[in-house]
Amino acid sequence: MDKFIYLLMEGYRSLWRAKLSTFSSIATIGVTLSFVGFGAMATSNLARLANESRTDYAIEVFFTQLTTDSEAQEIMNEIKSMDRVREGVLITKQEAAEIFQKEFGENIYDLLDDNPLPTSCKIKLEESGLEPAEIEPVVKAIEAMDKVEKVSYPAKAITLIESYFQGMLSVVALISMAILMGTTVLVSNTIRLTIFSRKDLIRILKLVGATDRFVKIPFIVEGIIVGIAGGVLSSLLTYLFIRTANSFLMLFTPYQLIWDWRVIILLILVVALFSILGSRKAVKKLLT
Amino acid sequence: MIRFSNATFSFKGSAGVSDATFSVDEGEFICIIGPTGAGKTTLLRMIYMDAIPQEGSVEVAGFSSDKIRSKQIALLRRKVGMVFQDFELLDDRSVFENVALPLHVIGMSREDVHSKVDGVLDKLGLTEKSHNLPHQLSGGEQQIVSLARAIVKDPVVVLADEPTGNLDPAASFKILKLLEAIQESGTAVLMATHNYNLVKDRNYRFFEIIKGQVRASSG
Repeated sequence: MDKFIYLLMEGYRSLWRAKLSTFSSIATIGVTLSFVGFGAMATSNLARLANESRTDYAIEVFFTQLTTDSEAQEIMNEIKSMDRVREGVLITKQEAAEIFQKEFGENIYDLLDDNPLPTSCKIKLEESGLEPAEIEPVVKAIEAMDKVEKVSYPAKAITLIESYFQGMLSVVALISMAILMGTTVLVSNTIRLTIFSRKDLIRILKLVGATDRFVKIPFIVEGIIVGIAGGVLSSLLTYLFIRTANSFLMLFTPYQLIWDWRVIILLILVVALFSILGSRKAVKKLLT
Repeated sequence: MIRFSNATFSFKGSAGVSDATFSVDEGEFICIIGPTGAGKTTLLRMIYMDAIPQEGSVEVAGFSSDKIRSKQIALLRRKVGMVFQDFELLDDRSVFENVALPLHVIGMSREDVHSKVDGVLDKLGLTEKSHNLPHQLSGGEQQIVSLARAIVKDPVVVLADEPTGNLDPAASFKILKLLEAIQESGTAVLMATHNYNLVKDRNYRFFEIIKGQVRASSG
């Protein structure tokens, strides 16, 4: 345990000894990773938007003209008992006429002798939001029901948001991968410079009986510290990005980007992992 | 404890060591004399297995150059203390930290490291300098720190490669006396030097090395 603590402290102290290169590496990693952070945060928000759109949009079911309200109620109950259906609201012919008057300011009975508006119902699906491929069978099952004339569902809008989400996900993933690879190289080079600057220490350690592992661990610790510090800095910058973006968004839309801690924790963990890879690479090349 | 059996190590541009056969017992004081470039440093490197013989073998404290694996070399070096002409101290660490280094390597607890290092520094008269950095010490003091680092782990042998090479006569004599005290406490000492005048009157076992050829000498 004492040995382990000593090695951790060695890693920390040697970073402090090489302050300039350490801080420049942390700053570079922090700034570049903040793009990953902002991209990940934007993707997370778009995923939320897509999810909300899936759950908020309703399936509208229109019944045939001859369907009575009680028959429509029965059919709606049947729909409500289906898998993935959350709730249903019946709109009778009379209520449809009232909605018409509210939206167009005209009484349908004044315009026409009869009320041609059909009885309908609005069906909402599970809160968690379903993929379009999962919604389609529900729509088809309702369409196949007796006395159902038409089923309306805003598939196009949802598909559009989905495609934006998928596109953004691919771009962010690609850029993130490139930046994380860059981080690995940067950490690797930082550790390489540190190894070169501490050739004396390495030689003396080997002379007094240090194993290869004892010599290597402090360098790996250094790599992890640099990576995590860079990750934390990038989180702070991402937070500033989000705040700035929200103050701009406020001018045009009530929609605000939401800060997601899970994304930040994941980002820091991934950076730590890539830093381990980077420092291991440098250590393996120069100390084996 | 140390046995050379027809051991040869040669490399370009130097005599190396050729066909060396001798042995060293526990607690002996061996002085290896010879001109610069004769092979003294190579002989010591063969003992701490930094140079593995191309022919013959070297056995040290139960480790044989024939069978030793790279991981075991670290274990062997924990039993061997080393002192060099240019001290080989870490400039950015205090005297205490330099001396403590071999103990951290073997995983000794913090308390034990403190008591052990304090004991050695006290024995060698360096207690008051324990927080100083090497560059704040004289050459002689730096070599004593190097000596402290060599003996703090209770080695079976101390190898001193030209330990007085950078020191004035007074400091050189002090180092010599300290090495003798180490030998009197039961640790073998092998000292390589080209300064024959410094050691000619001492009661050591001498080896002379010329162009890689090692032979016993009466001093």
